[in-house]
Amino acid sequence: MNKLLVSDIIDLSNGVYDLTCQNKELEINILGDVTIYLINTSLELLKINLNKESNLTVYHLNFQNLKDLKVDVYQNNDSKIIFNSTFINDKNRDLLINNYINGNNNVSKLNIRCISKKDLAQVIINVFVKSNTKNNIALEDLKGINNGGLIHIEPNIVASSNEVIANHLTTIGGLNKDELNYLLSKKISEEESKKLLLNSFIYGNMDDYIKKESGGE
Amino acid sequence: MLEFINVNLYINEQELFSNLNFKINPNEIHVFMGKNGVGKSSIANAIMGNKAYKITGDILYNGKNINNLSIYERAKEGIYLINQSPIAIEGVTNAEMLRVALAEKNQERVDIFKFNKELEEICQKLDLDKSFIHREINVGCSGGERKKIELLHMWMLKPSLIILDEIDSGLDVDAIKIVANSIKEYHEKYHPSIIIITHSNTLINTFSNYYVHLFDDKKLIKSGDKTLAKEILEKGFKDYQDMANVISEN
Repeated sequence: MNKLLVSDIIDLSNGVYDLTCQNKELEINILGDVTIYLINTSLELLKINLNKESNLTVYHLNFQNLKDLKVDVYQNNDSKIIFNSTFINDKNRDLLINNYINGNNNVSKLNIRCISKKDLAQVIINVFVKSNTKNNIALEDLKGINNGGLIHIEPNIVASSNEVIANHLTTIGGLNKDELNYLLSKKISEEESKKLLLNSFIYGNMDDYIKKESGGE
Repeated sequence: MLEFINVNLYINEQELFSNLNFKINPNEIHVFMGKNGVGKSSIANAIMGNKAYKITGDILYNGKNINNLSIYERAKEGIYLINQSPIAIEGVTNAEMLRVALAEKNQERVDIFKFNKELEEICQKLDLDKSFIHREINVGCSGGERKKIELLHMWMLKPSLIILDEIDSGLDVDAIKIVANSIKEYHEKYHPSIIIITHSNTLINTFSNYYVHLFDDKKLIKSGDKTLAKEILEKGFKDYQDMANVISEN
C-alpha cells in the first residue's frame, strides 16, 4: 500500500494507492493495474485519464468533509474502470460523474451508493459512448437510502454506437423492513439494527481496507 | 408462559383465525399441525409481533399482555422465531450481529475470546464450518445451513420460548438428526417452551412428550397429546375436516 499526499496532477502505475488530497482538484493518469482509495477527501473535481490497457479500481468513501464532487473519466482503448463510491450527506450535496468512452474495448462499471440524512443528495451519472466505437461495456448500479433526507438519482447512458452493452440499475428506498425485523427479533434495538444495516449498505461496495481505515461512520 | 385468550387474527382486514385459546406452560413442547396455507406460520409471526398481523383478544406471556409489544421487546422477553425460510442479510456477519445483540443484552462489552470459543463449540455441535461465524448472515447458504445458523443464534441468545416453523423441511437425513439433537439438547439444558410447526414426525419423535394442536378452517379444531400427531400423520387431515365444519356451524 502506498500512502500518498497528492496535489494537482499525478501519474499512477501498477499499484495500490491511498491518496490524501491537498487541493480541491486532482487529475490522475493511470498506467497498468491501479487501485485507488479516496477516504473522506474534500475533493471537488477529479479527472481520471485511463491509458491503453490500464485497469483502475476506485474506492471512494465520504462521510466527512463532503463537498459537491464532479468526476470526469476519459477512456480511449482497452481500458477498464470500476468506480465504487459511497457518500452520506447531511446537507445538499451533488455527485456528478461524466464518463467519456471514446475508443474500443473498454469497460466502465460505476457503483454508487448514497445515504441522505438531511436535505438533498443528488447523483447524476452520465456515460457517453462515442459513435463508431466497438466492444464497450457500460454498467451503472446506483442505490440510495433515504434516512431523513431526499435523494435524486439520474442514471444516463448516451450511446452513439450500436456495439455497446449498456445497462443501468437504480434503486431508492428506505431500509429493508424484513431485514430490520429480522435483527429486531435477535434482541437488537431499532437504533442498533438500523446502524448495522446502514453500515452494511455503506461498505457494501467497499473492501476490507477501507472499512478498517475509515473507522466506520 | 404463553397463553392465547379469545384471540382473533387478521391480515389486511382478512380474518385468519377466530377465537383461538391455548396455553403453553414453561418447559412444554407444543406441536402445531394443519394443512398447507391454514395459517400456522401466521400464528408464529403474530406471536413474534409482526406488525402485518392485527390481533384482538389477549396474548399473554409470563402473565403479561404482549399485544402491544414490538418485535424487539418480545425478543427481549425471550421469544425467538426460526422462520421457514430465514432471510439473508448482506454486509452483516453472524459474529457482528451476535456481538451487538449480546452487548445490548448484557450491557457490557463482549469478551471476544469467550465469545469466539462459544461460537466455535456450537458450530462443532451443529456440524457447521466455523468460517460461518464471520460470514454474512445466511448469504449464499443452503436451506439446511440457514437453519443451522438460526440454531447457532438461538444458542447464543438463549431464548425461553422458541418457535420452530418447519425447521425440519428440506433437510437431509443427517442434517435433520443434527438439528433435532441440538434442539433437544437446548431443551434439556435451558428448559424453554417450544412450538414446533411441522408436517412430519422426524423432529417430534426426538421428544418423549409433547402436546398437539390441529388447526383448520380458521379454528383450533383439536388438541391432544402425542397420539394425536400419530393419528394425523397416519390418517391425514381429511378425517378432521368434518370436525372443523361442526365447529364452524356451532
